[in-house]
Amino acid sequence: MADCAIRLQEAVKAAYAAGAPLNIVGGGSKAFCGDARVGERLDVGVHRGIVSYEPSELVLTARAGTPLQEIEDLLASHGQMLGCEPPHFGAAATLGGTVACGFSGPRRPYVGSLRDFVLGARIINGKGEILSFGGQVMKNVAGFDVSRLMVGAQGTLGVLLEVSLKVLPLPAYELTLRYSCEELGAIFRCAEWAGKSLPVSATAWLDGALYVRLSGSQVAVKAAAQSMGGEILLQEEDFWLCLREQTHAFFHLESAQRLWRLSVPPGTPPLDLEGRTCVELGGGQRWLVSNATSDSIHDAALGAGGYATLFRGAGQERNRLSPGVAALQQRIKHALDPAGILNVREQ
Amino acid sequence: MVLINNWPDLRQELLEGLHRLLPAASVISKREALRPYECDGLTAYRQLPGVVCLPYTVEQVQAVLRLCHQLNVPVVPRGAGTGLSGGALPHEQGVLLGLARLDRIIEIDSLNRCAVVQPGVRNLALSEAAKPYGFYYAPDPSSQIACTIGGNVAENSGGVHCLKYGLTVHNVIGLKILTMQGELLEIGGKTLDAPGYDLLAVLCGSEGLLGVVVEVAVRLLPLPERAQVVLAAFDDVALAGEAVGRILSAGIIPAGMEMMDNLAIRATEDFVHAGYPVEAAAILLVELDGENREVSEQIFQVRQLLLTAGATEVHTARDEAERLLFWKGRKAAFPAVGRLAPDYYCMDGTIPRRRLSEVLARIAELSREYDLPVANVFHAGDGNLHPLILYDANQPGELARTEALGGRILQLCIEVGGTITGEHGVGVEKIDQMCVQFHSAELAQFHALRAAFDPSGLLNPGKAVPTLHRCAEFGRMHVHAGQLPHPELERF
Amino acid sequence: MQTRLAPEFQNSAEGREADAILRSCVHCGFCTAVCPTYNLLGDELDSPRGRIYLIKGLLEGAEVGVETQRHLDRCLTCRACETACPSGVQFARLADIGRAEVEKRVPRPLPQRMTRYLLRWVITSTPRFSILLGAGRLLRPLLPQRLQRLVPIAKSAGAWPAPRHARRVLVPAGCVQPALEPGIDSALARLLDRHGISAVHIASGCCGAVSQHLAAPDEALQRMRANIDAWWPHVENGAEAIVETSSACGVMVREYGHLLRRDSDYAEKAARISALCRDPAELLAALPLAPLGKGRRIAFQAPCSLQNGLRLEGRVEGILHGVGFELLPVEEPAMCCGSAGTYSVLQPALSSALLTRKLGNLGKYTPELIATANIGCLAYLQRGSKVPVVHWLELLEAPPR
Repeated sequence: MADCAIRLQEAVKAAYAAGAPLNIVGGGSKAFCGDARVGERLDVGVHRGIVSYEPSELVLTARAGTPLQEIEDLLASHGQMLGCEPPHFGAAATLGGTVACGFSGPRRPYVGSLRDFVLGARIINGKGEILSFGGQVMKNVAGFDVSRLMVGAQGTLGVLLEVSLKVLPLPAYELTLRYSCEELGAIFRCAEWAGKSLPVSATAWLDGALYVRLSGSQVAVKAAAQSMGGEILLQEEDFWLCLREQTHAFFHLESAQRLWRLSVPPGTPPLDLEGRTCVELGGGQRWLVSNATSDSIHDAALGAGGYATLFRGAGQERNRLSPGVAALQQRIKHALDPAGILNVREQ
Repeated sequence: MVLINNWPDLRQELLEGLHRLLPAASVISKREALRPYECDGLTAYRQLPGVVCLPYTVEQVQAVLRLCHQLNVPVVPRGAGTGLSGGALPHEQGVLLGLARLDRIIEIDSLNRCAVVQPGVRNLALSEAAKPYGFYYAPDPSSQIACTIGGNVAENSGGVHCLKYGLTVHNVIGLKILTMQGELLEIGGKTLDAPGYDLLAVLCGSEGLLGVVVEVAVRLLPLPERAQVVLAAFDDVALAGEAVGRILSAGIIPAGMEMMDNLAIRATEDFVHAGYPVEAAAILLVELDGENREVSEQIFQVRQLLLTAGATEVHTARDEAERLLFWKGRKAAFPAVGRLAPDYYCMDGTIPRRRLSEVLARIAELSREYDLPVANVFHAGDGNLHPLILYDANQPGELARTEALGGRILQLCIEVGGTITGEHGVGVEKIDQMCVQFHSAELAQFHALRAAFDPSGLLNPGKAVPTLHRCAEFGRMHVHAGQLPHPELERF
Repeated sequence: MQTRLAPEFQNSAEGREADAILRSCVHCGFCTAVCPTYNLLGDELDSPRGRIYLIKGLLEGAEVGVETQRHLDRCLTCRACETACPSGVQFARLADIGRAEVEKRVPRPLPQRMTRYLLRWVITSTPRFSILLGAGRLLRPLLPQRLQRLVPIAKSAGAWPAPRHARRVLVPAGCVQPALEPGIDSALARLLDRHGISAVHIASGCCGAVSQHLAAPDEALQRMRANIDAWWPHVENGAEAIVETSSACGVMVREYGHLLRRDSDYAEKAARISALCRDPAELLAALPLAPLGKGRRIAFQAPCSLQNGLRLEGRVEGILHGVGFELLPVEEPAMCCGSAGTYSVLQPALSSALLTRKLGNLGKYTPELIATANIGCLAYLQRGSKVPVVHWLELLEAPPR
């Protein structure tokens, strides 16, 4: 446990005064994400510890440097969990890094994304001011939602000091079903299930098989499994963990292969792209391991009404924002980090 | 916003411009016709607008914004005018921009489980349109019969269902907005997320300050296989509060959990005749939905928990009609207290659930101190409190006393670790309390963010985020225990 | 809401009544959701909440002119707002008071004044209306098709059973119903006769609604007094109910007591008559009716006056279902058909938009016929309907045409 807020604030203030870039680092588990950074390293990992946890209020507040594992262990000991089951991508994952990257896990479309669970945040903005937004209650409509704006901002809008999260009870019972089918069939099945109130908490199609996880009360889960059919999988926990952490064989990249993340409307039919696909999140997230050109992949995603992100592998990120939105995002960045010192990308 | 002296000339120029851009039925300028637009659901604050515009199309909205930007005229957007924080209070020298005529449901997309609507579509109308497809739109503010989706986005509205299904921000997946300069920006769509910063999160709850919403894409949820509501009566409000905690601690997340105290029960029963126990100190309405057998199991558990917590009676709705009737009363609770008193002032604060009974006891004390009845309605599941102060505006001094009592209640919310608003927004009503909840650097950050969207500051000025000057003035008048709030701000 | 009545209204009975209604409104806006004109026009001024606010302005001494008049004119007085209002605002009473005051202050152009006068002159007198309709029928073949639709063909009345039972009810004939649809009242009479009740038909002229809603309250009171004079002997002789087969008239008669409360000669009688007023659905609900329905597919248009004025939503449907008719779903059941008394003449554009919408909703599942409970709705729906439009009583008594 350590409260290093003041020390971190001093560092940011100094950097602001000097106009010197800062490279914010938590556990370094998501360094692969995005381009390389320049600037002096600001180690937030030292600012750690659980600030408060009220199981009956379903709220946990922790410092940004707290290891994600520590938080999950604490929650599990009280029969609770982080609803969106965010990936760690490494043992050193911290709360701050998780929030800054904004990745959610398989449960996301069924309970909400990481951003949906953020209730409030305490940050240091690019001027070195410590600011608190949101709070510890779910409903808080005072001021603009700056705390949720931090999610997925990759540290470019502020240094996270503390985050308050809504937590959920662990499901009483879970099981996973498996079906053999092709990609198109999988997409339609997911659409069909999404139109019914079934206790689905994760879906994934890869290698000609569709996996569905059901979570809830034993009664509900067993009844649903009965009506849905499919083969019941044992040791399914490993499957979903491997998928989330991308340790599953699907994600193994040969040299020159790249991993893309496509975010498309869930009902989108299979995209005609070279490589192998994993369809997740009810169809809304498609992983693509491919040698295809960046342009063809970006075009395919755009054509489907979505967008693509280069997740792992060498290559330039393409700006997928319309000019108006891109300019707005620049202005927002400037509002929070006027000297442009936070997590500056290598040019 | 400073008032300008040559307003009559500017107004003339504005009207000429508007009449060129809009059909005659879209421009209202006669004083007689402006009056009904002088307030929204918060009638204690009234201001005649300069002009009212009621466009029919997005292009017309854009044209109005461009003209106003060019002439430096403020714009206040308005949906159905049901807001309770004065967010749609007009600007004396500005345009009140009504979006109610943009009322088309553009698409119900059952394959992608979403809908695309114009901002003037009523909340309930969306769920009604989605029903034949087996879907509904989850956020259900009590005013859902009349309020618009655009307004819901501006206020990040919640409602009974938000305990389980989230606020508006959790259910919006795309927005098209027009900036004050008239630029059309499209954010998100039918995908789970959008590239770049989470602008949807910032826009939800931005109270009409950052952009005018002209199209909304929302997530639709499947209609539950079964939905059932359990009504429990309590002799003591504190017991009801404890029962709530027990249900949540048991790992059950109901679809909705609402409480009403005796005054509220009586007023609503008079309207809806649902059979509420009018002698109870408080009733709890607990809704459970999902798969058939799971719901049965949860009903059983909930009933047990309620009884062991001290409920004097527990009643499961006998059929769908009764279930809807139980909710109809709760949803009409605010205006139904209009049967008890000519006026009501609805407070909106959020507190940690565990402090509920304590807060209610203190509100009862304050009610006696100020000699004004207070009916209490709340979203018990998330601690969002709506004390309704009953008063008579025609009695001299009563409105002032009411506002004073309201201020004390909000202060109480902050003291116990909550916030001054849960879902009704800040608007004009709570703008002074913003000075207490946030310090000046935070307020300055809000203004900087706002300037990123609207450098001119013409969109809904004077709402939601107070200027530092205002906080200095507020602080000057509210010296507390010898300490001046915001000591860092200069006084003039 | 807060009100500050102008002195002239503080001391008048109407002013005080209106003030009490205004104070019950909390400006929540729920009413805007169900108001047909707000639905069509999207303007707060054409919503009940906006109209309440305009009337509030008038009573507070603000200048009123054609703006206020126009938006009050556009009100259908369908009272859907009253049903939706959680605070219990008596909108229709407030609108009556407001409209009467506006009529005194805001002059109308001559054509408007003439139309309104003619409407009152023609409709409120049964003989006058019948003569004019008769003339219209003679000329019908010469009229262009568009106007032909406005002149319905003559229908036969059917037999009226002789009065033989001890139990008696009074059935006022009304203004336009005898000429347009003489079969309705006689159908009721035959039905009741089979169940031990004799119906006494009495010529009555207009119930007063036309005058009341055209802002001629004194004329309305005259009509009411005339009716009371005509009906009172029957009441004294033991008539147990006054049955209005048109729901709109039923709403009006139930207000006699309130409207004449300050008339020392008529107050008691008016209250008694209002208390005796019944809709046929209330009488027939408990009777064992013959199962004539035979599964026939019909759509029932519930008049606004039945749903909102009389608060009898669902009763007629229950009776029809009980005798075996299949009632097809009707979407937007609370949306007015646009007839609204004289509204279809005075506000043709809004009125016909509502008619088109209502016929669309009624016809969605292709019913054999449309049933309704009010002569105004009936005559209006007939103009555009592809299937026959009848009063529901006729379905119970004779095979539908």
